[in-house]
Amino acid sequence: MSTINRILTYEDIPVWRHARIIRWALQIISAIFVVALVAWFFTNMGSAIAERDIPFGFGFLSREYQTPIGDHFIPYESSDAFGYALGVGITNTLIVSVLGVILATLIGIVVGVARLSSNWIVNKIALAYVEFFRNVPVLVQLLFWFYIVLALPQVREGYVIADRLYLNNAGVSFPGPNVPGSLLVPLAWIVVTVAGVIAGIAAHRMLTRRETVTGRASYPLTAGCAVAIVVSGIAWMILSAVAGDAPFVMASPEPQGRFGRIAGGITVRAGVLVLLIGLVIYTSAFIGEIVRAGIQSVGRGQIEAGRALGLSPMAALRHVTFPQALRVIVPPLISQFLNLTKNSSLGGAVGYSELTNIGITMTQTAPAISIFMLIMVAYLAMSLAYSLVGNLYNRHISFERS
Amino acid sequence: MTTSADMTPTDSALPPPRSQTGVRGWVRENLFGSPLDSALTLVVGAVLVAAAWFGLGWVFFDADWRVISTIGGRFVIGNYNSDQVCPGNDCFWRPQASLLMVSALLGMAWGVAGAGVVRRIAILIAVVAALFAFLPYDFERMGMDVRLLLLANPVMLVAGWAIARYTRLGTPKWVAILSVVAFFLTLLLLLGLPGVPGLQPVDVRNWGGLTLNLVLAVSGIVLSLPVGVALALGRRSHLPVLKAVCVVFIEVFRGVPLITLLFMSQHLVPLAFPETFPRNSLLNAGIVITLFSSAYMAENVRGGLQALNPGQIEAARALGLPAWQTTLFITLPQAIRNVIPAIVGQFIGLFKDTSLVYIIGMLDIVEVGKTFVVGNTEYQQDAQEMFVFVALVFWVFTYGMSYVSRKVERHLGVGER
Amino acid sequence: MVTTPEEREEVEDIIICRDVHKWYGDFHVLRGITTTIKKREVVVVFGPSGSGKSTFIRTINRLEEHQRGDIVVDGIELTDDVRNIDAIRRDVGMVFQSFNLFPHLSVMSNITLAPIKVRHMPSDEAEDVAMSLLERVGIPEQADKYPSELSGGQQQRVAIARALAMRPNIMLFDEPTSALDPEMIKEVLDVMQELATSGMTMVVVSHEMGFAREVSDRMMMFDEGLIVEEGPPEQIFEDPQSDRTKLFLSQIL
Repeated sequence: MSTINRILTYEDIPVWRHARIIRWALQIISAIFVVALVAWFFTNMGSAIAERDIPFGFGFLSREYQTPIGDHFIPYESSDAFGYALGVGITNTLIVSVLGVILATLIGIVVGVARLSSNWIVNKIALAYVEFFRNVPVLVQLLFWFYIVLALPQVREGYVIADRLYLNNAGVSFPGPNVPGSLLVPLAWIVVTVAGVIAGIAAHRMLTRRETVTGRASYPLTAGCAVAIVVSGIAWMILSAVAGDAPFVMASPEPQGRFGRIAGGITVRAGVLVLLIGLVIYTSAFIGEIVRAGIQSVGRGQIEAGRALGLSPMAALRHVTFPQALRVIVPPLISQFLNLTKNSSLGGAVGYSELTNIGITMTQTAPAISIFMLIMVAYLAMSLAYSLVGNLYNRHISFERS
Repeated sequence: MTTSADMTPTDSALPPPRSQTGVRGWVRENLFGSPLDSALTLVVGAVLVAAAWFGLGWVFFDADWRVISTIGGRFVIGNYNSDQVCPGNDCFWRPQASLLMVSALLGMAWGVAGAGVVRRIAILIAVVAALFAFLPYDFERMGMDVRLLLLANPVMLVAGWAIARYTRLGTPKWVAILSVVAFFLTLLLLLGLPGVPGLQPVDVRNWGGLTLNLVLAVSGIVLSLPVGVALALGRRSHLPVLKAVCVVFIEVFRGVPLITLLFMSQHLVPLAFPETFPRNSLLNAGIVITLFSSAYMAENVRGGLQALNPGQIEAARALGLPAWQTTLFITLPQAIRNVIPAIVGQFIGLFKDTSLVYIIGMLDIVEVGKTFVVGNTEYQQDAQEMFVFVALVFWVFTYGMSYVSRKVERHLGVGER
Repeated sequence: MVTTPEEREEVEDIIICRDVHKWYGDFHVLRGITTTIKKREVVVVFGPSGSGKSTFIRTINRLEEHQRGDIVVDGIELTDDVRNIDAIRRDVGMVFQSFNLFPHLSVMSNITLAPIKVRHMPSDEAEDVAMSLLERVGIPEQADKYPSELSGGQQQRVAIARALAMRPNIMLFDEPTSALDPEMIKEVLDVMQELATSGMTMVVVSHEMGFAREVSDRMMMFDEGLIVEEGPPEQIFEDPQSDRTKLFLSQIL
């Protein structure tokens, strides 16, 4: 009985058999191993950089890039610095991916709903769309569209539809808002309008709460829209009066000069056009499947229960099906957004200067490793931003549940 | 048990109204269920007819498909068999021998799995391969040897089937082991051995075509399995340093586009290893694709591990199995088995992604076609035809794989066992 | 099972617990368990859910770590010494509420895995042992099936065979019949009864009072991390001392 009079102790257990010590030892050994492995790579790299005279450093960022960039949405001159040119690349990637995400989501929802249609033709077309486009590499699709656009007539002989729509191998032009004066005016107007929309949403929320609490009709939607419209309208009028020009005027594209260059309206250049078409079709096929699976994951019983409670079909869809389906849809949707953003790096293959393409061009005149690091950080920041939005949304959902 | 024929019809069992049966019933039900449905059917149907009219018109009258036959074998192996790479042009048998190994393995898989989707696919692949022997090229361009090797595929299929059926090699384990052996044999065949007649070394820069896509995708997925498992275990471990390193690795490789990684592989991979390490673009690409795939594999395996019932580990521990054996024999096999569908999906994605190696100047099937169309003025207007063909090749492979995986999954009931 | 006084003098104390405490975070699950279980004894542990009875038997083979007190199993003290932990796990078999059979392995492989890997038994011998155990639990014909192809009762009998294949001196049962459909409970209890008759030391967490009355030598009532009452089944059923035991029994009987 002597054994049980002892309190558990560490002392008399040999070190190599002690569960806790083994755990710690494993911890330390694995940490050393991993650190050593990482260090080995980095010392190799460091010595290679030193010995083989491989350029490294970030001094080039303030040097002049001296290379034209085909597409830029922010002003750019060849005399701008490398750092700024990288910024142009990031903007280009961001603009294509945001537009792509919006369009792919819209089309994906249509495809997903069509996949659930009881109409045989609609259903099968959606199925064919999904099964074809998601199974062919996006690069092949992009090149296919690229060579179609390339085969279009040149600007001067391009197609003109209804005198308003210009289609040629440089891109597509259509009527749209143009900035007549300084760029600051529309910017200011957009800022105020966004503020107005936020105020409108706040008003909508407040009135909705009042409606639920008091049961009195408070017309939250009408009031919310009114707030936003009034704010943005007043801003428009004041800005027009002060600056002498309206923030935007509608304009149609017009061919100008000897080469028939098209000015006015909105021109989507060929590179952006092809990249958007390719990415949107490819990604929307995936999103269609996600939407279908999400809606199907909500059992019929849920809709029936909603209907049994007296909710209208639309109300049942709005309050019962959608919230549950969204919970299934959002996480994979976010990862598709991320994929689209990453796939936009194929822009170079279709003549669009996005981040990776600009980076690759830069490696001819600047240290490749430094550029690669910056690009990597930029993409990681974008993917982090997407995950952040996804996580926030998830938390929002779980708040709703609790 | 009684069949419906034995049962006496009761009054309540009336036949359904005419309107719900037959073709008319089906059309009414599925195309004209409501006014909205009818309108949709008419509009979509009209668009479909128009699209089919123009599409078929293009396919049969406007398109010039000769670009496909002119490129021909280069779609399969790129410049591997060209005059500069392989004097005498007698290297084509090497990828073909690999195909024969695949046929034999498919035969074994059929022998092990029995009737069902595996048999159908195995026969289909072998028969299609054999049919390629009858391509209407003249014998200058496609010799008798090439044709005979293609015709040997069904023979190898049957041989593989017989081996699986009548020898002790007819188990899934042996099929798996032989597949790995065949994989390395394929690499050896393609690389060649210096000094061995008929196996003159071929620089990996000259590997190309669909063979390159397949070699990269298969190596990527096979090699990323152990790395991915290690990363997944590392990410789940309680050791903070190990965990952090794995998380950073996984998130970096998942967050950056593959094309960026591939381009930089030319600069970074040689730097990360000492100068004695062999270096070439294929190896760089292979390393980067493997690491990229490992990051995704790690997340798949982690999902499988997370979904596992903790009772499994407890039961193993209670039986006295130490932690490493519990992982090796209990948790990992189950986790991997449960994520096989996800791994197939990942393989399909990786196969599509191998088309990105153009960025480091490798001639995969897409780049073979593109450089040909760009480089030959008389074929420049046939780019569409070429890309449609390449798209179809990819589609047949990827859709075929997902089809087989779905069927096998249903057959095995993955996730139930 | 009835033991004669002569036998009782011979048997040693196979499980000794002294003042065993365990916390989950702030929650004090086991609040000082002191008890001794003798060789060949069959002990049924019962009590309301959350009373710590499952935790208690899981500390015996170190599936849960106790934080204070001593546990000595078959003469081996349960400390942080991995050799002791391994020795105890080899010596103690466990059967779980949810069976926890390995779904990717056949019934035969489920049973032979541990003997081959841990006891380094030749596989032929392990298969012979497994077959005889399957016969003992009454399902030799299921050897080549997979767990998902068996009924709940059959799965639990395989789980018992799996634990027995390691030739344990002690068997722990954690609510072995709770996850079973009523018609399958008896087939498992019959196997357990046969095991008890053969002289196995058994600690059974269960609310099968029929089994307890017929088979057990001693019953332990757990509540709030303490043994509230223990004694032979006749005493527990006919003349419970504690009010909580009376209340609990009145609720479940």
